[in-house]
Amino acid sequence: MNYRSMVLVSGDPRSMERGAKEVYNQFQREINALGLESEVSLSWVQDVGRSDAVPLAVVYPEATIYGPLQPEDVHTIVEEHLYKGRIAPGLQAPVRELSGHIAWISARKGTLPAEQRIILKRAGIIDPTSIEDYIADEGYQALASILTDMQPKDVIDQLKASGLRGRGGAGFPTGLKWQFVASTPGEKKYVICNADESEPGTFKDRVLIEGDPHAIVEAMAIAAFSVGADEGYFYVRGEYRLAQERLRLAIEQAEEMGLLGEDILGSGFNFKLHVHSGAGAYICGEETALIESLEGKRGEPRARPPYPTTNGLWGKPTLVNNVETLANIPPIMLNGADWYRGFGTAKSPGTKVCTILGNVTVTGLIEVPMGITLREIISIYGKGMANGAHFKMAQTGGSSGSVIPSSLQDTPMDFESYMDNGVSLGSGALLICDESNCAIDLAIVLMNFFRKESCGKCNPCRIGTERAYQILKNIAEGVGTMQDLEDLKFLSKNLIELSNCGLGTTAGTPLENILQYFMPEVEAHIKLKVCPTGICPMSGRKAYPETKLAKLEQA
Amino acid sequence: MVNITIDGKEIQVPEGTTVLRAAEQADIHIPTLCDHPALTPFGGCRLCLVDVKGARTLQTSCTLPVTENMVVDTDNERIREARKFVLTLLFSERNHFCPYCQVSGGDCELQNAAYEQDMTHWPLQPNWKTFDVDASHEYFILEQSRCILCRRCVRACSELSGNFTLGVEERGADSSIVADLGVPLGESTCISCGSCVQVCPTGALIDKKSAYLGHDVELEKTETICIGCSLGCGIEVYSRDNHIVRIEGNWDAAVNHGVLCKAGRYEPQDAENWDRVYTPLVRKDGKLKAATWDDAIKAIADQLKKSSKTAAMASTRLPAESLYLFKELFGGKLQASTVTSIEEGLNTKLTSQLAVELGSPFEGDVVEVDKADCVLVLGTDLTEDHQVAGFFIKRNMPHGTKTIMVGCGENAISEISDVVLEPNVKNYGELVQALSAALTDKPYTELAKAAGVCDDAVKEAAQLLAAANFPAIIYGEALLKDASLNTLKALVELGHLSGAIGEQRNALVSVKGKANSMAAAQYGLDQAMELADEQTAFIALGDDCPSQKLIKKLEKAPFLAVQASYSSQLTANADVVLPVTNWAEQEGYYLSADGYLQAAVSSMTAAEGVLSNAAALEKLAAALGYDLDAAGWKDELLKQIPAVVIAE
Repeated sequence: MNYRSMVLVSGDPRSMERGAKEVYNQFQREINALGLESEVSLSWVQDVGRSDAVPLAVVYPEATIYGPLQPEDVHTIVEEHLYKGRIAPGLQAPVRELSGHIAWISARKGTLPAEQRIILKRAGIIDPTSIEDYIADEGYQALASILTDMQPKDVIDQLKASGLRGRGGAGFPTGLKWQFVASTPGEKKYVICNADESEPGTFKDRVLIEGDPHAIVEAMAIAAFSVGADEGYFYVRGEYRLAQERLRLAIEQAEEMGLLGEDILGSGFNFKLHVHSGAGAYICGEETALIESLEGKRGEPRARPPYPTTNGLWGKPTLVNNVETLANIPPIMLNGADWYRGFGTAKSPGTKVCTILGNVTVTGLIEVPMGITLREIISIYGKGMANGAHFKMAQTGGSSGSVIPSSLQDTPMDFESYMDNGVSLGSGALLICDESNCAIDLAIVLMNFFRKESCGKCNPCRIGTERAYQILKNIAEGVGTMQDLEDLKFLSKNLIELSNCGLGTTAGTPLENILQYFMPEVEAHIKLKVCPTGICPMSGRKAYPETKLAKLEQA
Repeated sequence: MVNITIDGKEIQVPEGTTVLRAAEQADIHIPTLCDHPALTPFGGCRLCLVDVKGARTLQTSCTLPVTENMVVDTDNERIREARKFVLTLLFSERNHFCPYCQVSGGDCELQNAAYEQDMTHWPLQPNWKTFDVDASHEYFILEQSRCILCRRCVRACSELSGNFTLGVEERGADSSIVADLGVPLGESTCISCGSCVQVCPTGALIDKKSAYLGHDVELEKTETICIGCSLGCGIEVYSRDNHIVRIEGNWDAAVNHGVLCKAGRYEPQDAENWDRVYTPLVRKDGKLKAATWDDAIKAIADQLKKSSKTAAMASTRLPAESLYLFKELFGGKLQASTVTSIEEGLNTKLTSQLAVELGSPFEGDVVEVDKADCVLVLGTDLTEDHQVAGFFIKRNMPHGTKTIMVGCGENAISEISDVVLEPNVKNYGELVQALSAALTDKPYTELAKAAGVCDDAVKEAAQLLAAANFPAIIYGEALLKDASLNTLKALVELGHLSGAIGEQRNALVSVKGKANSMAAAQYGLDQAMELADEQTAFIALGDDCPSQKLIKKLEKAPFLAVQASYSSQLTANADVVLPVTNWAEQEGYYLSADGYLQAAVSSMTAAEGVLSNAAALEKLAAALGYDLDAAGWKDELLKQIPAVVIAE
């Protein structure tokens, strides 16, 4: 890292609308005018969680946020901050609790106690468009040492010893998955990085790719070497344009340096990487649907078995790993399994990257050790509930997680403890709700998501989510009956039991949680015809079946 | 082999078998909806759930491959509950009010499955949503309300017919079956093969014609063959009260395995609306008038006796026995000046000649086209005729089968083919030689130039053939039209060079016009007919459609006798018309393009006074004083060396 300062200009759509491009250009001109281009790096950053102050610029290492900016403000910032080294007065974003990327910076300074950073180590610190930056910070060292000193079997053994479990939601032991693919005979194998992150409220994979794309590229190469693949795909969510660009650039740079392509580092190992853009289907985050989509078909999950480890892309053995899982690989390989086991709990080692959102004072992205409790996350990272309200429930893992009642907020967040309590960790979003939120309303929002995103292949999910949504809507209108609750139980139980893929099985989970933990509230909706939080409309008119009259009224 | 225990029964099945198929082998019934033996497993309906020992959840038996020592339970309380749940959801999703549906009462797999699970009602409210009905198609209706989204139709459209018209649009509960990108079926790229209708488990896709004409149990089913073209696809004719209700593909048939094209499934039904000839007609005072059989036969016999030169033509849709009698009567006994088929040997003459010259058959089985990874098609539009052979090509293209289309015109296959060549109509020979030369690294530019095609394309085609493990060559009419024996010889050479003809397999095949063109060729009915000073023409037309060319040619015949099933311009011009049976009423043998000798079975009873083609010919022979016997038909058929091995 040759730069003493880094300037990041927000390039999310909202900032672009408000003239971020001109601000960026102005920075370029001013930096050049003062001859600082070799000392100060300038690049784009996506949404940092301060949409009230866009377009904004974050100046590192102080992590000062300036905004909202006009091109004419740039001169002052460059002269005062970058040239003279003091914070430019009057241009800072209105003081608010830190959020997003900025939370990590305070963590690095040691102000946050439980911070343990393994995979977000470089994100937001190095220039993601520079392979030199990555290499300077231990980058590609793991790959190089593996290619020169290790056999695929050793890599897998080390991974198994580390106890790393998949971070996509299901928590399958990663080493075991690699071993399955490695032990399947076959000339041609594939590795796929699942970056189709579409859970509402989850954006950890985006930040990982945007902030540290080379780490994922390196991990893919290690994975390919270990399982015997020579071709890999990044399946990136269609909306993640910047992530796709960064990955393409990273692949290009790595190929130029001989870290990808033919005969990597003289080891005889060949590896080719492609970036594939998703097209907006949540279901394509399911690994077999992802593979179908890669093959050019309608994204619908396949029946399993056979699993992708034996019959994946184009029928060949395929390893599919989540971005976050892969991000763990280079540090584990570099520092060893024992080092890795020093983080987290015995059965769920390592850290977890979470997004916090909802009614907390500070929202944003954090990396926490496995086994931390929800109470700790809210009070330490979230800086407490917003406006001093009481915690009511949290929804983990975007939609595919569970609804956690306050009684479980001291349960350690690791795969086993959560599973023992009948809830799941999900993909890493934490939607924190205070007492002004209605459990039925939350269930409706979730069920609406599932019914819209169900692929329609298997009956339980296609019809079950739709019918559950309709029943919930009627309850919210104050026309529910106690029989409806029986129907909901009937639906959720069978959804979990009979669906073809993870979407259907998780769609039933929040329903079960709400019926288990928030029964008094649900009964109030039905028996008293009252929504305790005043959110549900309670019109007394059925929302379903949609009569022609109701449709007309809506219109 | 894998050992597996299903419901306590220990059985052995080959590796890769699904639990569902294994259970079938053990005579254990598992209810299914989205499964169909001819289609790839889908696993959507979740009705076939079984309990596998050691598995956490119930598994779909249609997609689950057997593993060693697997223990499966197909019926317990947990499974029954799951099945009821699945059916409950399905019934509550769309409009499944059975009394209004034409398949209700035995033909609906959804309803049958519910009866099987002892369901009397479903505990959830119906959805009360409305769905579209698409009645824009000529032959069938798509009623979304009755659809259970099992995707059998979608899979049939792509996996069986290779047409890829049907698909699914939207997601979740909004999913629906859609043609192309959402156009009405009648305006879509549908080719009316009807495979989707045949596989639909409910009343979502129903035939316009057969709807409400009765349940399967009330219909008579006859297994026979289609005589629409020379492929000889197996069909099942469903009839009631001597009317065809519908025609389905026979899943067990060797050639088509259940697939049919429009010409096999729907066109024979259209023919029911044509004008039948029921009584013999004789021209008196310039007008055709009804007559008795004796009068009509006498009129022809008298004419034949007095005429010095006679031309006789038979349709290649007639059964082999009738063709034999025809040949014996006009060729053997009457020594007529011209005895031929109405195809005049266009599709068969050269191939027969070559077989005789080579001393052995040189063509293979059409099914090889289905197994090929590279197909060279010469001079035939397989989207118009012999469509099932076209399906064999189209349905394999997504799996990587390469196609080289030579002189096939613009059609749905050549649109997406790897190489398309349009040689001069008279220069197929040069093109074939150019391909052979390119395959063996000899100069081919001059040959390509002579054929009128770009030499780069020839090179590309040769590379595709060279790269293929199982190449196939299929040729037809347009190549044979102006070809010489040398063209065919070059084609056989190309077959050897490319590997289409090898020791293990022979994938050089040709399509040969109508159902019995091969038989006609074996009987030598393949000369060209030029009417000169003939005084009499006798046309054994059967249920064939006379071409304008034939009608024109016969206009100048002084005396024209026609035996036909339907009235046409030809019968209108005739002096005597003999009413004969059509394809459904007659029986007899047909020799397919790839040498299968198959029996057609009659599914209808002919009206009184309508005789079979053979009977009419025998009657005529008797009137002329000959005693004809059809018994020798088979020996005669095998006498000449055929282009393709004849198998029964």
